[in-house]
Amino acid sequence: MTAGIEVHGLTKRHPGARPDRPALQGIDLRIPHRHFVSLIGPSGCGKSTLLRILAGLDRPDTGQVRLLGRSPREASRRKAIGLVSQTPALLPWRTVRQNVALPGKVNRRAGKEIDSPDELLRAVGLEDSAHQYPHQLSGGMLQRVAVARALGLRPDVLLMDEPFSALDEFTREALQYQLLGLWQRRATTVVFVTHSVREAVVLSDRIVVMSARPGRVHEVLDVDLPRPRDRKVVKGPHMHDLEDRVRDSLQSAWKAGAAPDDLVPL
Amino acid sequence: MREETGIVTRVTGPDRADGANPTDPTAPTTADFVPPAPKPATPRRARRRSVLRPYVWLPATVVLVVLAVAWSAVARAHPYILPPLGEVAATLAADPTLFLENAWATLSIALVGVAVGAGTAFVLAVVVSEFQVVRRAVMPFAVVLNVTPVVAIAPALVVAFGFGMTPKVVVTAIVTFFPVLINVATGLRSVPLPVLHVFRTLNASRWEVLLRLRIPSSLPYTLAALRVVLPLSLMGAVVAEFVAAGSSGGLGTMIRNSASTARLDYVYAGVVCLAAMGVLLLGLVALVERRLLFWHDSRRSGRA
Repeated sequence: MTAGIEVHGLTKRHPGARPDRPALQGIDLRIPHRHFVSLIGPSGCGKSTLLRILAGLDRPDTGQVRLLGRSPREASRRKAIGLVSQTPALLPWRTVRQNVALPGKVNRRAGKEIDSPDELLRAVGLEDSAHQYPHQLSGGMLQRVAVARALGLRPDVLLMDEPFSALDEFTREALQYQLLGLWQRRATTVVFVTHSVREAVVLSDRIVVMSARPGRVHEVLDVDLPRPRDRKVVKGPHMHDLEDRVRDSLQSAWKAGAAPDDLVPL
Repeated sequence: MREETGIVTRVTGPDRADGANPTDPTAPTTADFVPPAPKPATPRRARRRSVLRPYVWLPATVVLVVLAVAWSAVARAHPYILPPLGEVAATLAADPTLFLENAWATLSIALVGVAVGAGTAFVLAVVVSEFQVVRRAVMPFAVVLNVTPVVAIAPALVVAFGFGMTPKVVVTAIVTFFPVLINVATGLRSVPLPVLHVFRTLNASRWEVLLRLRIPSSLPYTLAALRVVLPLSLMGAVVAEFVAAGSSGGLGTMIRNSASTARLDYVYAGVVCLAAMGVLLLGLVALVERRLLFWHDSRRSGRA
């Protein structure tokens, strides 16, 4: 059976960076299809670089990436990748509805229909804002539009780069549960980059802890919280256990990597 | 005292009526004096109302009056330096069709020149931003063209193209070419990276990225260029008319001929027409900007 995402021996050096400190070194990952995986790690561990490579926006120096058996380029040619970044990345001169419809308008050769924009907006609870422009919406609403746009193609892989990190805590939590609900119904493979331990535990089946300088996979932790997850599930001692384990892992990942050059010595 | 109370009432805001000290005899007058806090009504209405406020129009009016008085003083003392304002107005009123016809001649040259210059620049900007090779091939010459004073080429252009419209249009086109080229090229590159990434992961074609992302993103830059270039086009047209001796019409020709016969009232009447046309063109751009750039930050920040 083909995995959702397979990464083998991936290395990436940023041009001009110190040669002994590649951004990514020897990354091996196997993510089963329809799993929700978070990448977490100290800044500089290359989690965003890894995500860009998965999205086909950047090429690895060595190694192989397969999304459902295809290269990222092939996958994007088939419009099989959904991308949500830290900023909503909407077109400000288009209405919310037109933004959500955008993936259906470009690259028609892929021959892929998108879900009806109205339905998508209903799914994220924004049907009333369909004809508004992005500047009329709040940050949380904008990010929901971006999620709706990415989901419209029913992508094989949904890549999210700290999508909720710019939002306040309440909005953030609400969006996490909304995302879980959407994912539950559509069941795609999700790779979710985050800085937040709690967010990683609440959302994921599996957490990939990365270490920095060089960027490596430090540890892969399974999250055995039952699904579907709601506020009741993520309360209680087991949740805290899991969070502590991720924190410990991050601590040892931090020690494993070399100290960053820009760290101010005490 | 009055001002102090004014500040206090403003700070307390909604419960101003209760908050005002009832024993203070100045309180009611103060409350009247404080302008009603403008509610965030529709922004357009707020803007229209603000034009009526003295602190908006008074400073410019004062400067205008001062300038007019100074002008009149100089005109009275040295009639060969400045004509009296009344005379300029009388000249304009005496034969408005003469000025309108000449203004139209100049304006049409300016507009055709902009259409040619800015149009070419826009297309070239697109090509240059899409193909590095073309960029390296063309940009040095565009820069040289920009730093060359066009007035220096104008006589040669007249020799080459005669006294008709062509040399004037060419001068205007050259003047307007460069600002549009640079601005649009910058605008086409000013696409936020995350948005570009979304297009890339969808495998959008170059053409689709250009049409759906780059050109709309460059619109604020294009319009900013037009803001600069439209008044500039008038200058280009007038300069071309100065140079093309024996040309038939246009405000430039008229100003030059009147100056040589020391008819300063005609000269300044022509200048007034040019200024009016410049304002008109700027107003036009502002109107288009308001229509097209409702989504852009520059439009919104002012209203908040």
